[in-house]
Amino acid sequence: MLQYARVKSVGVQRQGQDRRVASGVLEDELYAMQCEIAVDWPTLTIESVQARMKRFTTQRCPRAEQVFERAEGWKIDGELDGRIKKELGRYGCRHMASLMIDCCRTIVRAELAREMRSAREADPGLDTKSFLESFFERYPGLRSYLLLQ
Amino acid sequence: MILDYQNNTYTTVEPLDQGLWRIFLRNEDNLFCVEIALDVKAPALDIRHASLTVKRDDLGLVPDLSSASEKMVGVRVGPGMTKIVRGLVGGPEGSDRVAELVLDAMEMLINAITVPELRKATDLAGVQVELPTEGPKIRLNHTVINEEMALKMAENPRLKDSCAAFRDL
Repeated sequence: MLQYARVKSVGVQRQGQDRRVASGVLEDELYAMQCEIAVDWPTLTIESVQARMKRFTTQRCPRAEQVFERAEGWKIDGELDGRIKKELGRYGCRHMASLMIDCCRTIVRAELAREMRSAREADPGLDTKSFLESFFERYPGLRSYLLLQ
Repeated sequence: MILDYQNNTYTTVEPLDQGLWRIFLRNEDNLFCVEIALDVKAPALDIRHASLTVKRDDLGLVPDLSSASEKMVGVRVGPGMTKIVRGLVGGPEGSDRVAELVLDAMEMLINAITVPELRKATDLAGVQVELPTEGPKIRLNHTVINEEMALKMAENPRLKDSCAAFRDL
């Protein structure tokens, strides 16, 4: 019989030219939580974070919600995952930190996919490696952030 | 508003016979899909079998991981696993993305083992949750672990100061 299951789901929306929004949910035997993040594009700055603990184990768990607002103003780059784990996960909730990492990464992967789709429409024979090189030239901070391989 | 991108991860942990646990993780987004299966044996929590199967890779960057799967046998779920897994599965010849998902899968075994302990703590020391009167119409908490039990749990060095629940106790 199954002892444990976790589902994490993140969706991304493009709200106008310069705003990307991710909404994530996490649910398992112990926890249910959700996280919404708005990011300014192309500055890659986290504008707003809304974390909500819905089901948890101790009375203190909801205190984690405010901790995640500390990320407002942070930039998405190669240091982000470590900062979320150390500065938010340890003081807030490591499960919410994991969900937030997924939200941020999915925003960037969504942008990459969106730009690649447009580029392929314009050039059906597009060389993927050249496209990726030009993407990282435009967003150098993402080269060490996106785990594409 | 219509979403234009989704990322979904589903992980299960199932006890099999004679102390063997099976962890299964599937991650899929618009660009990539992978399935990870690990058989882990208690009490040492060492991996007895691993399979890392890339189902779809639109960017075509992830190499064959069958050799990395074989090297995972013997790796233990516990301290030091991050460096070992990143070394075996990630790097220029492997996949950093899959390495992080393997670590995620391994961590879910720890969560699975913790569930009965937290259930016991809630049964023994459950207290009705005090939440603000304003908020959602239906709440998902009725009982949480009381402060006394949280204090006792925070004596475990692995938990102490690990999150808001076990900080400043």
